[in-house]
Amino acid sequence: MHNLTDHHLDALSEVFNIGAGRAAASLSEIVSEEVKLSVPSIEFRKCAELSAKVLSLDQSQLGVVRQRFSGAFNAEACLLFTEDSALEIMRDMMGSHISIEELADFEQEAMCELGNIILNACLSAMADMLDIQLQSSLPHYTVCNVEDVIRSIIGVEDQMYTMILHIDLEIERRQVNGKLIFLFSSSSLNMLRSQIDRFLKIL
Amino acid sequence: MSEDSVAHNQIEFETLFDALNIGLILVDKQGSVLLWNDWIANYSGITFTQARNVKLIDAFSVPLPVPFIAAINRALSTKLPVVLSTALHKFPLPLFNPNGTGERISQSIIVSPIKQKQGELVCLIQVTDSSTSIKREKMLRDHSESHKKDATTDPLTGLYNRRFFDAQYAIQLAQAQRQNSTLSLLMLDIDYFKNYNDHYGHPAGDSAIIAVGNCIKGKLQRSSDLAARYGGEEFIVMLPNSTASVAQSFAENIRHAVSELKIAHVNSMIASHMTISIGVSSCLPGMIVDQITFLKNTDLALYAAKQKGRDQVQYLPL
Repeated sequence: MHNLTDHHLDALSEVFNIGAGRAAASLSEIVSEEVKLSVPSIEFRKCAELSAKVLSLDQSQLGVVRQRFSGAFNAEACLLFTEDSALEIMRDMMGSHISIEELADFEQEAMCELGNIILNACLSAMADMLDIQLQSSLPHYTVCNVEDVIRSIIGVEDQMYTMILHIDLEIERRQVNGKLIFLFSSSSLNMLRSQIDRFLKIL
Repeated sequence: MSEDSVAHNQIEFETLFDALNIGLILVDKQGSVLLWNDWIANYSGITFTQARNVKLIDAFSVPLPVPFIAAINRALSTKLPVVLSTALHKFPLPLFNPNGTGERISQSIIVSPIKQKQGELVCLIQVTDSSTSIKREKMLRDHSESHKKDATTDPLTGLYNRRFFDAQYAIQLAQAQRQNSTLSLLMLDIDYFKNYNDHYGHPAGDSAIIAVGNCIKGKLQRSSDLAARYGGEEFIVMLPNSTASVAQSFAENIRHAVSELKIAHVNSMIASHMTISIGVSSCLPGMIVDQITFLKNTDLALYAAKQKGRDQVQYLPL
């Protein structure tokens, strides 16, 4: 379907874990606590196959951070957390900085920052490995339900493929799971595949 | 304006930057200050002349926080934009309210790497004062809290309103039946209130209702006890885990306290001052009764108190 072999996936998986490690280091610096971030699995699917079950997000309300990347290939990136766990992460990260009552006010901006760190780290790790240049829009945060997220993903014309990264984030012994979804057009996916091929040949 | 005339007039971008109501700092790849608009000068007390070509980390008299410096380095190394939120970095730069209070302002920051035509990378730092939006959010929150309160309280007496009582009553009755405990209800009504209103006028009537409401409020001892204004001159009290006899003596206490207020009531048919009648009913352990029946029984107890001469407490078993 997407013509990506296990080799391609292994290379991507390695690169995203490098990105996750960088993001964790940045987050640790902000919260002065150890933050662990990993990408245990990665899969490709056609947009049309996307469902709440595929994303294994059972909760209806999601916090979504989006950024649009462009350059050697174009991709829309969405980081998804269930709204409850998004609030939990924020509470942990803000720690003594802020009272829980004030939390809601700052949730949006703080989630943008968290998402921005994770998305940039993953994308820049990929750009470094493949030796390509990428630009990005500013992050944008919304809260919406699973159906709306999926509808907005499927609704994007030309973006046929999704790459789904499962993300484990651990802050102060609290473990939350998220999903990072990249949307590619088939030409962008072809571009990505040939970049990875080029990289694998260099190795 | 056509492109030609723009080019001809040579717009001075620095004057535009200075007119902006956000802070702008431009640094080169080495972190030296290339641009520093008036907003930043106003809020930092440091002029562009002083900061020009100085490393940003040395431009201020205090060291900058590590996460802020890391964010700039990250923007430059990844060439991707970085945001710093108020919640996670309250005061990244030493900026102060220029109104003279010396108050440190909270900030939201966006760091955008920008590639110049010559291939040089520069970094634009946009700073917004988030202290005003924090104040606005706080105001909105206060409003919504007062709305929430409005929805549950009776504005005249400050007691809970009927709607809140109804919701709590349903919860408490279900809980009492589940836990096999007693739930008691008191229905209270001011005697000859219509006569009082007719003689003393509505404002005096309102004052009397407030006085009786305060009297009831003052007698509540446990946090689980709940008093509400149920109608015009009618009140209701819910006492979870109170036996029938405790509820009756509690009612007698309130009746006595209201009588002791000695609010003159010349048109009362039974006394020279204001009095109240109270009906009491209890749902005892093991009883299965629905909300309406229990409430109706309490109302019947109040009716009995009225029938038997007012200014008294009547208990009616379910």
